[in-house]
Amino acid sequence: MSLVAFLGAIEIGLVFGLVALGVFLSFRVLNFPDLTVDGSFPLGAAVAATLIVHGVDPYAATAVAIAAGALAGLLTAFLNLRFGILHLLASILTMIALYSINLRIMGRPNVALIGSDTVLSPFQGLGLPNLTLKPLFAGVVLLVVGLLLTRFLLSATGLAMRATGSNPRMARAQGVDTQAATYVGMAISNALVALAGALFAQMNGFADVTIGTGTIVVGLAAVILGEAIFRARALTVWILGCIAGSVIYRLAVALALNASFLGLNASDLNLVTAVLVAVALILPGARNPLRAMIAGRKRP
Amino acid sequence: MIEVANVAVTFNRGTPMETPALRGLDLAIPEGQFVTVIGSNGAGKSTLLNVLTGDAAVTQGRVLIDGQDVTGWPAPRRAALVARVFQDPLAGSCADLSIEENLALAATRGTRRGFALAVDRGRRAAFRDHLRRLGLGLENRLGDRMGLLSGGQRQAVSLLMATLQPMKILLLDEHTAALDPKTAEFVLDLTRRIVEDQGLTALMVTHSMRQALDYGARTLMLHEGRVVLDVAGDTRNGLDVPDLLALFARQRGETLADDSLLLG
Repeated sequence: MSLVAFLGAIEIGLVFGLVALGVFLSFRVLNFPDLTVDGSFPLGAAVAATLIVHGVDPYAATAVAIAAGALAGLLTAFLNLRFGILHLLASILTMIALYSINLRIMGRPNVALIGSDTVLSPFQGLGLPNLTLKPLFAGVVLLVVGLLLTRFLLSATGLAMRATGSNPRMARAQGVDTQAATYVGMAISNALVALAGALFAQMNGFADVTIGTGTIVVGLAAVILGEAIFRARALTVWILGCIAGSVIYRLAVALALNASFLGLNASDLNLVTAVLVAVALILPGARNPLRAMIAGRKRP
Repeated sequence: MIEVANVAVTFNRGTPMETPALRGLDLAIPEGQFVTVIGSNGAGKSTLLNVLTGDAAVTQGRVLIDGQDVTGWPAPRRAALVARVFQDPLAGSCADLSIEENLALAATRGTRRGFALAVDRGRRAAFRDHLRRLGLGLENRLGDRMGLLSGGQRQAVSLLMATLQPMKILLLDEHTAALDPKTAEFVLDLTRRIVEDQGLTALMVTHSMRQALDYGARTLMLHEGRVVLDVAGDTRNGLDVPDLLALFARQRGETLADDSLLLG
């Protein structure tokens, strides 16, 4: 694997680390299987790119993209909580609606950002080549977001949110407004995914209505890989695992696609993803002496 | 002071499945009284608790806690007034959270939750002291997941959780029914200790007539959504399980007689 491919994999892994955190929040913390992310990722990209093309400051554009993602999450939560539509179905409804909405926002299937200012522009005069600047920037954003999310989930309000996903009846008995917790959690989750979309568009110089396809699978792959690697379920380790899982997933995919002896090409990406996720799901349960030695403890 | 005035609860109202669970139940519990409740399946014991917690909507009547009319309040809003220990040891705590996180959640029951750390050093020390009093060695396992504990340990912690915050009434919903006899006895003794030490107003639902008479100061018997027996003081002290059984049988017989009158 070339250095360019390696850094490229790290960069995309870090950007999708934000998606992994969002998916972690909905699937693991709130116990709310949410497919909205397939729509909120391109939503973030579409909103940011369109605003930037229209001359809006890239940071303001990114902030609006984050808010748009939060709205998408709220919509899914609303359909589920207010009308009792099954969470999976509610999120699919939002997701397909967002496909049309994204086309409306952009006015065409894709928007190019070549030559426009992006969130990276203020740092481009510092002498770092784009190749290293981009993963560095994504890493810093991910680190800050990861720390904020961890701190939030360790707070009294965050604890109430975790209880909502773990045991809603008990949470209600403790005075937790489980509906409010779900709304807030879903908003944050999709805001993070939209932020990832906005960064993705600005780093790659385009937004396209189709870039969201499979976002949920990639996010879940990262969460599951992270869980397979870091066995502990302490919150900080768990969140760290999501981030590590996202990067490792991209590296593994890049390795697989670059290893010429395997004869794989870019169109085999989905197959590689499926195999990776399946292996990550199967491995922790398998009797593997090496695993046990590394982990040093038994699964509870 | 807890007051339940002429409360009726009907499930599946207006459908062929309509079931009246409570039919105009009246009950007043003065502050600091420990009341035990017995009754057969479907007598309305759990519904009475759900009416107090806000988990069941009343179709008629009023619920007052400490002089406040809470009839229309949803469960989370009543959490500051009402604490509950569930029958199922798994229901009262979060298996995925650590022991200290469960305690932290309960320590903020019914209050506004902010963004300060849920478990800080001061809280942790306080939790350790509370857990030590249970005598289960849990004070050294604060960071362990709740799911690793046995049913009896979880129920003991649930009881502790219920009493971390001041409340107007403690509801115990057959909270020892799912435990083995020895553990059940331990949890019951713990219950008595906590209720007496803190002078709590408590309502304990039980299936055991022995427990109903041995614990608390007043015993209620529910039947078909009404209070059919309400004894305290000397009358209660003079009662034994066979007397209670006889009363229970007579009560059922009388209602049967009533029904046959109606039908005849």
